[in-house]
Amino acid sequence: MGFLGFLAANRTEAARLALEHAGMVTLSTGVAVAIGVPLGILAVRRPAHEWWILGFANLLQTIPSLALFGFLIPLPYIGGIGARTAIVALVLYALLPIIRGTHAGLLSIDPAVREAAIAMGMDSWQRLRDVELPLAFGVILSGIRVATVISVGVATIAAAIGAGGLGVYIFRGVSMVDNRLILAGAAPAAAMAIAADLGIGALSRRFSRATNRTPP
Amino acid sequence: MSAAAVEFRGVSFSGPGAPPRVEDLDLSIPSGELLVLLGRSGSGKTTTLKLINRLLTPSRGEVLVEGKTTTAWTAIELRRRIGYVIQEGGLFPHFDVARNVGLVPVLLGWDPDRVAERVREMLELVGLDPRSFADRYPDELSGGERQRVGVARALAGDPPLLLMDEPFGALDPPTRTEIRSEFATLARSLGKTIVFVTHDLHEALSFADRIALLARSRLVFLGGAQGLLESSEPEARAFARTLPRRLQ
Amino acid sequence: MLALAFGLLAGCRPADRVVVGSKNFSEQVLLGEIVAQSIERRANVPVQRRLGLGGTFVCDHALRAGEIDVYVEYTGTAFTAILKRAPISDRARVLAEVRNTYAESAIEWTNPLGFENAFALVVRGEDSERLGVRKISDLAAHPDWRAAFGYEFMERADGFAGLARTYGLRFDQQPRTLDLGLLYRALVDHQADVAAGNSTDGLIASLGLRVLTDDRGYFPPYDAVPVARRSVLDRHPAVRAALESLGGRISAEEMRRLNYRVDGDKVSAEQVAREFLSSIP
Repeated sequence: MGFLGFLAANRTEAARLALEHAGMVTLSTGVAVAIGVPLGILAVRRPAHEWWILGFANLLQTIPSLALFGFLIPLPYIGGIGARTAIVALVLYALLPIIRGTHAGLLSIDPAVREAAIAMGMDSWQRLRDVELPLAFGVILSGIRVATVISVGVATIAAAIGAGGLGVYIFRGVSMVDNRLILAGAAPAAAMAIAADLGIGALSRRFSRATNRTPP
Repeated sequence: MSAAAVEFRGVSFSGPGAPPRVEDLDLSIPSGELLVLLGRSGSGKTTTLKLINRLLTPSRGEVLVEGKTTTAWTAIELRRRIGYVIQEGGLFPHFDVARNVGLVPVLLGWDPDRVAERVREMLELVGLDPRSFADRYPDELSGGERQRVGVARALAGDPPLLLMDEPFGALDPPTRTEIRSEFATLARSLGKTIVFVTHDLHEALSFADRIALLARSRLVFLGGAQGLLESSEPEARAFARTLPRRLQ
Repeated sequence: MLALAFGLLAGCRPADRVVVGSKNFSEQVLLGEIVAQSIERRANVPVQRRLGLGGTFVCDHALRAGEIDVYVEYTGTAFTAILKRAPISDRARVLAEVRNTYAESAIEWTNPLGFENAFALVVRGEDSERLGVRKISDLAAHPDWRAAFGYEFMERADGFAGLARTYGLRFDQQPRTLDLGLLYRALVDHQADVAAGNSTDGLIASLGLRVLTDDRGYFPPYDAVPVARRSVLDRHPAVRAALESLGGRISAEEMRRLNYRVDGDKVSAEQVAREFLSSIP
């Protein structure tokens, strides 16, 4: 196939772009987890805040990705062209699935278990660490899985603002009307998304045995 | 004479914008007594129970535990001195039996050997062989076994006060009968203050020292089993009629 | 994939209309608008605009497939990128070659508009002054500089690869590719030090940027000429006349000024085109 030949002939560049791509996705997903999981916890612990936390995350998802990149460019410090802006945008996109996953995961815990934990005299942090997060973990992880797969796709657009990644091949291919180039970008990106999906899926199965033993 | 373990002084509770679930409750429970809170669904008995371990706080009046109002206690310290058993069990599905039972001792900072010993003791106390049960997970147990673990867990920290909310309600009748009689024996030997919620008069009669009958959020009778059966109070009569003819 | 999309769109084209296309940067959209309005005024034929379609190759495909009837192309671009010949600097010969070769596909090169829009290597004015960087060969002394290019420039035979070879250029960091509209911003924000822009861009002067001289004559000439399908020109002689009337009407100066009206003054291409056409007889 043409594009495989192209990738083989340009493997240093292709590897560099693939690494940039994976790097953007990993970093942004990590940051999104660091921000999104606490926000999801907050939305459950303080229902008064649920509306704006979920609402905000929902709103972000409705913004078309290229538009979001465009909005961010003129902003000082987090804006400008390049990978930093792209990562900010990717973080914002990843927030919804992660916040929702955390929120749903925590709410899916048997209320009797939650009540028992409180009644035993566990404090907030202990409950979170020993009971709620482990039990919600499966759902949270599936939120992370969705976020990662979305990120791999959206990161291809990052090439438009000079952030590099596999999107570079796609944009070049589109401007040259060269399917081989387009595929050289799209196929590895798709493979990356599938690998991430399967990888996190396997991780999730390993953990579910330990945390999802719900009595009949 | 021992001081009151639990006291209700003029307590009322209603949720925001809702009618009262408990109204004008005055009640004093001496240390070491097994008091049964009896009543229909919605009569306020679970609410009353939850006011004791501060899962709820009174809208009016005060609830005192060991002489201190529940609001004066630090919630966590209070709850670690109270064992709590509920109908659904609430065992942590991701902890094995040993870890579930050892929960409060671990929270209290006991050293691991002492915790392990205590877990063994408690499992034996509720009739479960530690060697076969300690490593099992709740989803591997029957309903009756789970409730026994729940009781073991509640007793593990050696709390002076035990609260039980219809703990045997979800069990099938033969299991319920077995557990009930075992529990009656156990309760007498523990010497703890126990507040037991049920809607089943028969159950109340098996082990209550006193019975507090609640109807429509109010206390309508407080006294011994005999007194309840002879009372002319309408709700008491209604409950008495639930017994087989010969016992009435 | 693109062919399928075009195929689908082909079915929706109404019969007697002239479709004017353009590439996806500001000057092209403006030129497309000028061509469209010129046809509307002089030839009285309904015009459908499909401006900002995409890059060179998208427009070329569209023209050959009949999706568009006319757009403005640059001689050097057609010569090196589309016809894939090695770049030469003889202006007349480049025009003759593309004219003859395209004629074989029933496409006509009408009259040159009067200006050239070449790839321009652009740097910040202050860097140019301070470091004496005035020609492209001066770049060889700054391998630490960061380059930013559009996608076409990276890929085309008359683009970066050939340039780097001719001038012996080597950059420590890989050139970044981004959307054309962002190139000058990257320079201004100091996120790049040299960019491949267009010589007639209106913003170059106003942003304090400077175009480096092509001292080794690497780039071919890029005369701007409206290119149209012969069948349409034959069917509407008035359209041919309209296009010919634009011949020689726009100097490089004028193109820069018009570009600035759109990019700098933020006036709509439609209005700038109208102003321009009213100003010429």
